[in-house]
Amino acid sequence: MSKFNKIFVYSVLIIASLVSVFPFLWMIVSATNKSSDVTQGRLLPGSHLFENVTNLLNTVELVPALMNSAKISIATTILAMLIASLAGYGFEIFQSRGKDIVFNILLLSMMIPFAALMVPLFRMFGDISGVLPMIGIDTLTAAVLPTVTTAFLIFFFRQNTKMFPKEILEAGRMDGLGELGIFFKIYVPTMKTTYAAAAIITFMASWNNYLWPLVVLQSPEKQTIPLLISNLGSSYSPDFGMIMTAIVIATLPTALIFFLMQKHFVAGMMGSVK
Amino acid sequence: MKKVLSFLLISVLMLAACSSGSDTESTSGESKDTNQITVWAWDPNFNIKAFNIAKETYQAENPDLEIKIVENGQKDIVQKLNTTLSSGTTKGLPNIVLIEDYRAQGFLQAYPDMFHKLSDTIDADAFASYKMAPTSVDGENYGLPFDTGVTGLYFRTDYLEEAGYSVEDMQNITWDEYIEIGKKVKEATGKNMLTQDPKEPSLLRVMIQTVGSWYVKEDGKTPNIEGNEALKEAFETYKAMLEADIVKPVSDWSQFVGAFNSGEVATVPTGNWITPSVKAEESQAGKWAVAPIPRQSSKESVNASNLGGSSIYVLNIDGKEQAVDFLAKTFGSNVDFYEKLNKEMGAIGTYIPAAESEAYKAEDEFFGGQQVTADFAAWMEQIPQVNYGLHTYAIEDILAVEMQNYLKGKDLDQVLKDAQQQAEAQIK
Repeated sequence: MSKFNKIFVYSVLIIASLVSVFPFLWMIVSATNKSSDVTQGRLLPGSHLFENVTNLLNTVELVPALMNSAKISIATTILAMLIASLAGYGFEIFQSRGKDIVFNILLLSMMIPFAALMVPLFRMFGDISGVLPMIGIDTLTAAVLPTVTTAFLIFFFRQNTKMFPKEILEAGRMDGLGELGIFFKIYVPTMKTTYAAAAIITFMASWNNYLWPLVVLQSPEKQTIPLLISNLGSSYSPDFGMIMTAIVIATLPTALIFFLMQKHFVAGMMGSVK
Repeated sequence: MKKVLSFLLISVLMLAACSSGSDTESTSGESKDTNQITVWAWDPNFNIKAFNIAKETYQAENPDLEIKIVENGQKDIVQKLNTTLSSGTTKGLPNIVLIEDYRAQGFLQAYPDMFHKLSDTIDADAFASYKMAPTSVDGENYGLPFDTGVTGLYFRTDYLEEAGYSVEDMQNITWDEYIEIGKKVKEATGKNMLTQDPKEPSLLRVMIQTVGSWYVKEDGKTPNIEGNEALKEAFETYKAMLEADIVKPVSDWSQFVGAFNSGEVATVPTGNWITPSVKAEESQAGKWAVAPIPRQSSKESVNASNLGGSSIYVLNIDGKEQAVDFLAKTFGSNVDFYEKLNKEMGAIGTYIPAAESEAYKAEDEFFGGQQVTADFAAWMEQIPQVNYGLHTYAIEDILAVEMQNYLKGKDLDQVLKDAQQQAEAQIK
């Protein structure tokens, strides 16, 4: 690469990273400022972080909301990994006649926006509430169930399974492993990076999920973090410093998980079997 | 096989953890014992606080009723209500809900059986008359009017003085006079007169309500844009402000608040709910005053208008009697309660008898000793009544776009004609 090209590439990259990092910086800086400084666009760190945190803890039930979000996200992620990988594996490894038709219908379902599903889904959970109140409206389980897996995740696992060496499966069968044994003892460990990438995607989507928890969770004790932040922002005179502090706290878990699994994530997105 | 089992076990445990605790409580709204009612409202510093004060007031005499006040953002409430009501279940519905006046007719007309009539419960004449149209259907009242969005012209006395204007000069002016004053202020101080967000021309709403006009005709459904003289004048005023170069453009709420907190604009023509945000900048104490909102040039126009405000509704489900009793003894009739509301949080209700209370006559040092609450309460009674109808926000989105065409030089009559056609096509 010529020197000029290098300069060009680097300057584009630097500008692009500034643009994507700036909102984060602003969020963190704003969490240390008082509301009127935030509205005036102050970019320097201030001394109000402690005050903002205290206000936040006094105004809302932050810890229970974090716990609710954590329960929902972890449950969703574990269930989604299990179901989506089994489905993706099945679609790729086992042969049957209607397989591709079913898979195409599944992919088509990706095109239906959630907003269109919401009313029938809510009605369904309303009816379930009459029979099984522990998984009906206003339970965390109801927030988990419709999101336990997505067509995209199944597709993602199927695509990655395409690169999985089928010969190993044969070897496993010959050595007397059952089909489930093959899946859990051979497939799962080999596809670790795919699982990592899928887990990050699912966890983030679930942690930030807004619309379904909003309609299905009614009591304040079951509030998740995005709902809590939405409430903070809806007042006539919002305390922006406090809201920014809440957003920083809400971002930490996803950021942490992403950084911990970053290496696997990148590998998983590139295709897991080398 | 061990791994499979442990995997399944973990999943089951996770689900169990999620559902723990939920079976001990009854779902709100469908509570079997009607000793509990649920309220949905937004804004912890305003509506939630008001309901908490109401709860205290009520429970002092009726300790048996448990009142659960749930905070949800305004848009969230709209979303939740729409989903629940259109799915046809009553699961999870609250007993009492707060709805913004502009949106109320949409709910009342779409789900007429789901709201409980309050005509027999409250004395409609005791509330500001402009609140009746949005809260009623076919002459029956469904909403208990709560806060007012009565508007005022907040202004910086120091800037105006620099430009040669006294507080008296700002009383009962027209928008044309306002623009002239704005030019002088800009000349003398270099400050803009006001902020505007081009995406949300809500000032148009404020201007046309001063003559009792709205985006829709009295039926609440037919767009009233083409041939609406008040709206035409509002468009002209809006353009004149921009051409006079006295408007600071902003793109969101925080910039709007930031502009007056930092002293960049001389006036804020808006609803009284902005008072706490104005007072948040303590260093500006004594430099502000509030005058009546400017009027239009036509004879019918008054120096009083409204922006926002909401009312309280009771849903037609189990527990409605308890909900009605709670409201009737607090928001519906209790002067002491309104006095307390005003003292503790500066809220101005639309219950007229409360205006006689001592708290309303308090002088506010932040506004140079002006009796701000009493002034707002007096202006509130003059607000012309209009039927906000079903489509306020849909039509305003159309107007925001057409406004830009008008500013670029498109003929005004054509602009309004096009907007009328778009509105008719969209809301049929």
